[in-house]
Amino acid sequence: MSRKPENTAFKQQRIPAWHPLLTAKSVFPTFLVVSVAFIPIGVVLLVNSQNIIEIMHDYTDCTSVEDNSVLCSSVRLNQSRMEETCTCQINVSFDTSMSGDVFMYYGLTNFFQNHRRYVKSRDDNQLIGQHVTQSTVSSECLPFAYLPNGTVFAPCGAIANSLFNDSFTMIRDTTVVPFLQTGIAWPTDYSQKFNNPSPVNDLSQAFSSYIRPLFWQRNVEDLDTVTSNSGYQNEGLIVWMRAAAFSHFRKPYGRLDRSSSEFENGLSVGNYIINVSYNYPVTAFGGHKRFILSTTNWMGGKNNFLGIAYITFGCVCMCIGVLLCCLHYHARKRHVVHVDK
Amino acid sequence: MEEVELDFQMPSNSVVPQSGSSDSSSQENLGTRTLHFNCPNVEQSFERNRISTGKYNFATFIPLFLFEQFRKAFNIFFLIICILQQIPGVSPTGRYTTIVPLTFILLVAAIKEIIEDYKRHRADDAVNNRLIEVFREGKFTELRWTQVIVGDIVKVVNGNFFPGDLVLLSSSEPQAMCYIETSNLDGETNLKIRQGIPATTGLQCSEDLNSLSGSIECEGPNRHLYDFCGNIKLGGDSGRSIPLGPDQMLLRGAMLRNTQWIYGVVVYTGHESKLMKNAKRAPLKMSNLDRTTNMQIWFLMVILIIISLASAIGSEVWKKMPVDRWYIDDIGSGARGFFMELLTFIILYNNLVPISLLVTLELVKAIQAVFINCDLDMYYEPSDTPAMARTSNLNEELGQVKYIFSDKTGTLTQNYMEFKKCSIAGVKYGETANQNGDTFSDEDFLERVHNPKQVDQDDYVRKFITIMSVCHTVVPEHVKKLNSNSISNRDETDFDLDMDNIQYQSSSPDEAAIVKAARKMGFIFSIRTPTHVTVKALGKDESYEILNVLEFSSTRKRMSVIVRCPDGVIRLLCKGADNVICERLSPDSHFQLETENHLREFAREGLRTLCFAQTELDEDAYMEWNKGAFYKASTAVIDREGQLEAAYDLVEKNLDLIGASAIEDKLQDGVPETIATLAKADIKIWVLTGDKQETAINIAYSCKLITEKMSLIILNETTLDGVRETIMEALNEIGSEFLRQENDVALIVSGMTLKHALCADVQSSFLDLALSCKAVVCCRVSPIQKAEIVDLVKHRCKAITLAIGDGANDVSMIQAAHVGVGISGHEGLQAANSSDYSIAQFAYLQKLLLVHGAWNYNRLAKCILFSFYKNICLYLIELWFAFFNGFSGQILFDRWTISFYNMFFTSLPPLSLGLFERTCSSENMMKYPQLYSISQRAVKYNAGVFWKMFANSTVHSLLLFFLPTFLLWQDVAFSDGKVGGYLFLGNFVYTYVVITVCLKAGMESATWTIFTHLSVWGSIIVWFAFFGAYSHFFPVIPIGAEMLGQADNVLASPLFWFGLILLPPAVLFRDLLWKVFRRRFRKSVVEEVQEMEMEHIDPTNTIMQAAKQSLSEKAHLLKNMFGVSGRSVAGDIPLEISEEHRPISSSVRSLQDPNLGFAFSQEEGGVVSQSDLIRQYNSERSKPEGN
Repeated sequence: MSRKPENTAFKQQRIPAWHPLLTAKSVFPTFLVVSVAFIPIGVVLLVNSQNIIEIMHDYTDCTSVEDNSVLCSSVRLNQSRMEETCTCQINVSFDTSMSGDVFMYYGLTNFFQNHRRYVKSRDDNQLIGQHVTQSTVSSECLPFAYLPNGTVFAPCGAIANSLFNDSFTMIRDTTVVPFLQTGIAWPTDYSQKFNNPSPVNDLSQAFSSYIRPLFWQRNVEDLDTVTSNSGYQNEGLIVWMRAAAFSHFRKPYGRLDRSSSEFENGLSVGNYIINVSYNYPVTAFGGHKRFILSTTNWMGGKNNFLGIAYITFGCVCMCIGVLLCCLHYHARKRHVVHVDK
Repeated sequence: MEEVELDFQMPSNSVVPQSGSSDSSSQENLGTRTLHFNCPNVEQSFERNRISTGKYNFATFIPLFLFEQFRKAFNIFFLIICILQQIPGVSPTGRYTTIVPLTFILLVAAIKEIIEDYKRHRADDAVNNRLIEVFREGKFTELRWTQVIVGDIVKVVNGNFFPGDLVLLSSSEPQAMCYIETSNLDGETNLKIRQGIPATTGLQCSEDLNSLSGSIECEGPNRHLYDFCGNIKLGGDSGRSIPLGPDQMLLRGAMLRNTQWIYGVVVYTGHESKLMKNAKRAPLKMSNLDRTTNMQIWFLMVILIIISLASAIGSEVWKKMPVDRWYIDDIGSGARGFFMELLTFIILYNNLVPISLLVTLELVKAIQAVFINCDLDMYYEPSDTPAMARTSNLNEELGQVKYIFSDKTGTLTQNYMEFKKCSIAGVKYGETANQNGDTFSDEDFLERVHNPKQVDQDDYVRKFITIMSVCHTVVPEHVKKLNSNSISNRDETDFDLDMDNIQYQSSSPDEAAIVKAARKMGFIFSIRTPTHVTVKALGKDESYEILNVLEFSSTRKRMSVIVRCPDGVIRLLCKGADNVICERLSPDSHFQLETENHLREFAREGLRTLCFAQTELDEDAYMEWNKGAFYKASTAVIDREGQLEAAYDLVEKNLDLIGASAIEDKLQDGVPETIATLAKADIKIWVLTGDKQETAINIAYSCKLITEKMSLIILNETTLDGVRETIMEALNEIGSEFLRQENDVALIVSGMTLKHALCADVQSSFLDLALSCKAVVCCRVSPIQKAEIVDLVKHRCKAITLAIGDGANDVSMIQAAHVGVGISGHEGLQAANSSDYSIAQFAYLQKLLLVHGAWNYNRLAKCILFSFYKNICLYLIELWFAFFNGFSGQILFDRWTISFYNMFFTSLPPLSLGLFERTCSSENMMKYPQLYSISQRAVKYNAGVFWKMFANSTVHSLLLFFLPTFLLWQDVAFSDGKVGGYLFLGNFVYTYVVITVCLKAGMESATWTIFTHLSVWGSIIVWFAFFGAYSHFFPVIPIGAEMLGQADNVLASPLFWFGLILLPPAVLFRDLLWKVFRRRFRKSVVEEVQEMEMEHIDPTNTIMQAAKQSLSEKAHLLKNMFGVSGRSVAGDIPLEISEEHRPISSSVRSLQDPNLGFAFSQEEGGVVSQSDLIRQYNSERSKPEGN
């Protein structure tokens, strides 16, 4: 048997190949094309982003409606006044109407939702609707997993425990602007990742063997009056449970209910009052709370970065493309001269 | 025996016992063994005759493999990471995210090991299952080698290897002589004679053996090739002990030649045989590139520790901030907390060290080795031998070779002598016809032979042929039938059949060539009896009575026979080196000048020359000499050799010059061209040979290593002082400013000189001298000296060395050099077995180095750099993220996507870079050896390149983290107002990283094969597919809860797609631009050639122009420095240098001496002297069959 190697393109390393050469000549048209495409895209993106109306109000240091001299934040800092409510008012007026969908967000700063010990402190099995006991609850939830007597928190863990619990009521004149607290979480989360434990149609029984997290004022089944938005399936909870990327973040609180004719086209120009039930303590960790009203466009919220980035990159490509083009023709000219000699 | 042989001892400190023989090595030299004939040797248990060179067997595989793997610091590192991950609460990435990839990688490595070891076992089986005739139960039976046991009597037939170490009992030849070829053991190609003791000579058939009784007692197994001590006792216990010595020893690894059969007793088997005792596991060689890579892995580990420490400190600082983060549980602090944080960060950043790098490299190198094995250009059809990469560790080292140390015999030459030309009475023959034909043929010559006219010239021709056919020690043998066993299919040099079925046996290939040439001319040397030589001269038998044989020795440089010619006249026929012959010519001898001129011509062509002369002896004068001086000398007790030489001198005088022969020591195909090409690639070639100075110089000329233009410096001193003085003198001659530059000088060093030149204090000046010469030839060097020279250059020059050889005497040098190449093709050659690469022809070195080496270097450089790049690019992002999450060790990505990064999403691009990248076409790589300098000078991969890459990937990771961060700073990523989370950002970043990294791999590829496309686009697709699938695992598969629904939402976000279009190009923009600018402003020769290839233009002009340019720069520089112009400078100009030569002053000897062409190989001082040998043969008598 001959040991002669096979004469195949693979074994003889003769596989046909494309040899791209990155020369000025081959690259500059690409650069020019890119710049021609990117600059207009950037402009469109930027203009779109500019059209979004966003109203932001930092209410960290707002005062109580009852007593103007009392800062709600100081009430929250005081352990002994934990049970007291503190409401403050935000006055908002805008001169252009917020047409279309309007979203209400709360924003927190200096809140490290992305801290490792915070992010992992949850039990996804519990949230998906499995009943857990002291022994089966995820150890990641500790020390927010169960009471010393063994009763498991529903839901357990640091994230759930620190659920944002300020509430906003927006009023124009005397009518309450209707904001829905549904449709703000990812549909996948709502439908797959969060489920109430059985029996799903009787939440008070479903959660009877659990206790609400320490910092909560309401039980999990009472987060909303509607069953479909209660328990683990409360969208406010779901939104909160998705840990933010940075210590500066915003999360949706509600969306404008445009079913009534009054708000069919969004929020019209005028003065609005937002009543904030100030529950969430942020001054302890030096954080701030913001109330945000915003419209969106087809690509999300106000985002100047993308437009600017496109325009910048397009311009750079343009400059370099022109430069390379010059270099190429210059080189050719020089080459011709060279050959003539 | 020759000096070469005596010096040959394996370095004792480096001998590592084979795995299978570790038990016996401890008993070395302890005890003796006794074996009895014709009865099973049961009382002692001997090693089986099975060899095993495999690393593992079924039982040992797992422990040994794991041990091997975890000896590497690299794997230990990941094992530690695995263990750390098991500590609860420490790992940011769960418990199993390192163990899974590590297991996967070990699995791949294990499969590779199994395949390689399987091949070794197969090769062992082939040897173990060779057949041999063993005398059992009264008759010879064919058994496998493994079934041979100590004490067996075996019959070995011509052309076969000995199955173990044997004691020779008898043979088909007179007086139990046999020829063996030991080139496997010591690299010498002349045949050696072994002779059995007289007491056993008579054992000629099975019956004789049957009645044999007695025993052999000998020393225990040891590794001394030239020692053997034993006694044979015949006829039961009462018998007399007869000593046995090395002359009766037939070693495993040697081959029976020119002898029909022998009987031998097996004394050592398997791993106890001397060959196997000498075999040592080839030292594990690490390539330069691997060392650099290891260094860089350590750098990365240091960086890892530094950033882990920094992060842990950052974490402490963050914890100490005077705020109450009530939403996070009590964070451990203090020393223990700090330590735990440190571990967390080490785990977090551990992937900065690419876990898949080693296994990727192993895979890539293994497949590169397959490419080498499969190269048709390196396949030698006649012997059906493909090239073979025996190790894949050094593929890229082949691209960095600076010095080649080459053996001569069998490497540069074919070890095949051929009578090419002759000069008779001042007329040259053989000039005309040998342009095409290989052998000697000359119409005029044949005319003179066959139809002699009564002219002087024809008479001389006749005399010349007579000397050719009579003056030698060749033994003719009439072969009656073609026995397929006795004739091996290898290329026989002195074992030939003509229509008369005559084989010539000779221990000297030169003599065989001459006798064969005479036969072709019609003078067939047919019969040798102890006293006569019969030559069938043009069909007519002529008988010459051999009166005396005046032996050849290297000091005499000649041999003569005194014969009584058919006409009754006593003549002395002599052949030898021209200078010794000339000294002894009679004053009225003619043609001296013409012959000398012809000799010089022959020598210049690299032919080996011998002068032929004769003289008539007066009957009385001869008798007087024979009875007087010669008899006295031959019976002398003191200094017999010296006295014999003196006696010979008395008759070897007043010679009449007949002519000279020129024999070609045939070079292998394409050797001069290969040497020229390699020289252009700035590779220096040194020839190290055990052969004589004359032969070595000869070959150096014929392969154009030395040209006529070059001056020779010959170091032939025997004392340390002499050596030192000569070297200093030569160095002064060259001048200090030209030191270590390429001068047009060749250095010839002899082994004796070398012994001193390698001494500590002369060493460096010797090296200076050697490096200042264009060619270096070392002759008469022992194997150890070969290794020492290689070591010297390897350690003092810091250059990559390559040793190439074919014999066992080259093994030490092959193992000492960075890369060892063995010439294969002949069966079972030890050099090939201990080499890293074996090729069939020296000429294949060109493709091996210039194409495979350069390509592989470039491929691996790209592959390694890219592997580092992609990991730094991704995992450094964790560091940037740490600044935003309070140095808590939170990961931005899902844990499994991180650990699969190296296994699936970015594993293919390094492979495609490592396997299919081609800088220039193989044709151009061969055509323009200048391209080799890129890999040779390690331009593409060194510390500088590494740090540049590190900086670049740091910038990329910054961009790839911060651009998406800005993109999602506002959180709202959907038109319905929804926001993402940290993992949402993470998946943006991860996708962008995978795409950027894959595109970067594409950008680094100069060659886009189908596999490049598959790896670049395929990896991206694999990521998207995995992303999509993984986002739906939970809760069906209880992992990746966080990832649930990510793909649906990420892919639904317009921001993601706008980022996808913008980010990877923006990140790679600078890289692209730099490439374009480099091509525009600092175009390298490679890039130039690439462009030419694209446009299908022949790049010759470009290369030449580039060469001229850099030459003129260089010349300019030199002018400023030395006031000399146009001098070639070794080492830093990769491009061709114009041929300008500095006149070397006359005191450096140049080739003037025509005796340089003289070369003659003959075994000297063997067990049977040449005159005894021819006295014992009688080719008229038929030989026993030995059945």
